[in-house]
Amino acid sequence: MAEQASGGDRLFRSIVAAKPKLVTGVPDGMLAQTIMLCEASPDFPYIACAREEECIGVACGAAMAGERAIVMVQNAGLLNSLGAFATMGLRYGLPFVIIVTNRGALADPNGYDIEKREAFDAGVRPMARVFDFDASDLPDDLIPAAFKWAEAARKPVILALEKRLGAEAAA
Amino acid sequence: MSDLSNLPSQQDAIAAALALYPARPFAVSDIGSQIGWLKAAGHDSRNLYVSGPMGLATSVALGLAAVRPNEQVLAIAGDGALAMNLTSLATIAGAKPKNLAILLVDNRVYEFTASVPTPTRELDWLAVGRAFFGADQCMRLSDLTPERWASITRPSMIVADVAPAPGKPPALGLTPAMIRLEFLKASR
Repeated sequence: MAEQASGGDRLFRSIVAAKPKLVTGVPDGMLAQTIMLCEASPDFPYIACAREEECIGVACGAAMAGERAIVMVQNAGLLNSLGAFATMGLRYGLPFVIIVTNRGALADPNGYDIEKREAFDAGVRPMARVFDFDASDLPDDLIPAAFKWAEAARKPVILALEKRLGAEAAA
Repeated sequence: MSDLSNLPSQQDAIAAALALYPARPFAVSDIGSQIGWLKAAGHDSRNLYVSGPMGLATSVALGLAAVRPNEQVLAIAGDGALAMNLTSLATIAGAKPKNLAILLVDNRVYEFTASVPTPTRELDWLAVGRAFFGADQCMRLSDLTPERWASITRPSMIVADVAPAPGKPPALGLTPAMIRLEFLKASR
């Protein structure tokens, strides 16, 4: 929780500003505060999924009806979901937003995260548009802008949030 | 389940489940044989044919149900498909959508893949459904009437034992762009 005390609230406010019809996800430590704020929000349902691949399906169901949906998962979770991402999200051209915590950065050196990041770079970036951000310094219009991009491109967009060196001191 | 010859076909089971509703629900079918048999049971603009990956229909249906809370949604999954996304039952039970039901068509084979037997061919799907949704919200298709179905709280699950088809299901004949556009118009 403490690891994203400021960024979590800012991300939530950006989510609200995009007026999604639903938000779905599987927790990661960097997303915990945002997820709890989403669960308490009266503005949209938050669907807590048991597995990340389900989140892609849930978002696709909303997007098929023309509604805005947001997925929040860790990089390892998106790796679990690439089949769904490709065969639903990309194949049907569905404009939803995936917020991924890209663990294993230089400022986030947990041993169990290193290979996740390398697999994310090797497996996700060649097949999808990924925009990278400092998790502690997110633009207020991040999620509305991401939807505008996805709707123009007619495909999902991935926002990769990471810890960056010096970011906490700057914040 | 030694004698399968008296069981309904998958197409007839899907048609029977859809007929339980007073008005056409959104029907979300899994890739493989379900999309073919749903179309054969009655093509409708409210049908959502999921192209992949296998097993995702229940999750797609949950997302649809969440953004269309005043519409009924029926997810149609085969036993092989649902086994690939069994955790979606836990998610749906937790989310408690009041407009979502699952039709599990159990033919005990991967029909679209040379009818290779599924690992769940001896699984008691009724017991599985009841573990997630409760005994009052999971029942056999053969025990349902429209009147009884109308009284059952969602989320719920219908289990239908069906006969394996002698051949592959009919081809869908629709591109993803066609499916999306037609469904988008129907779901607005």
